[in-house]
Amino acid sequence: MKWIGALLLLSATTWVGFELAKKLNDRPKQIIQLKNALQILEAEILFGQSPIIEACENLSRQLPEPISLLFKGISEDLRKHPGNLYDIWRKNLDSFWPIVSLGVNEKEILRQFGRTLGQHDFTQQQKHIHLALTHLDRELQEAHDYQFRYSKMVKTLGFLTGLLVVLLLI
Amino acid sequence: MLGDASVLFQIAGIGIIVAMIHTILKQMGKEEYAQFASLVGFIIVLIFVINGISDLFQQIKSVFLFQG
Repeated sequence: MKWIGALLLLSATTWVGFELAKKLNDRPKQIIQLKNALQILEAEILFGQSPIIEACENLSRQLPEPISLLFKGISEDLRKHPGNLYDIWRKNLDSFWPIVSLGVNEKEILRQFGRTLGQHDFTQQQKHIHLALTHLDRELQEAHDYQFRYSKMVKTLGFLTGLLVVLLLI
Repeated sequence: MLGDASVLFQIAGIGIIVAMIHTILKQMGKEEYAQFASLVGFIIVLIFVINGISDLFQQIKSVFLFQG
């Protein structure tokens, strides 16, 4: 009985460690997906000249799972009750953020980008998209750095903490 | 009293694991957390040792002062 409890505790802390490492590993991937999303959005605006609802729908079809939910939510909200785009953008960002591994900086970048969306002509809009892409590039580098430094450490620390607690309670 | 050596092994295990945590944290450049982890390990071991020593003092008191 004692050993079963010890094993359970150990596996729980190890799992926590792996979960944290997964969050660290997912962040660069999702930033890259966000960058892809902005590039597709740029193409939609400049070449397709499609309205924002259709652009968001196309984006949600083309992108992989976690990121596509943001654009799906925005297009659905816009269809249901068309209003201020920035309000809808911000509301969707808030509800979208807990399900991804991204940090607050990326959220702020996207929020500021959403405020410029639909306010300018093509060239200005393109400049704003490039600005957001540059910011995301910087965040991507930082995320890679964090991943490189901490993901292994978090895994090992989870296991070791479990071992320590088991030893204390035995 | 003396036959119960498992506490020694427990303290040794805690020491080894705290040392490993310290090494890993230091490798990753988190010196202050490493120091903190060692300090916490030391305090935990200290609590164990204080328990043992208080047992010893109770024994001495019961031998010489006819108490307990």
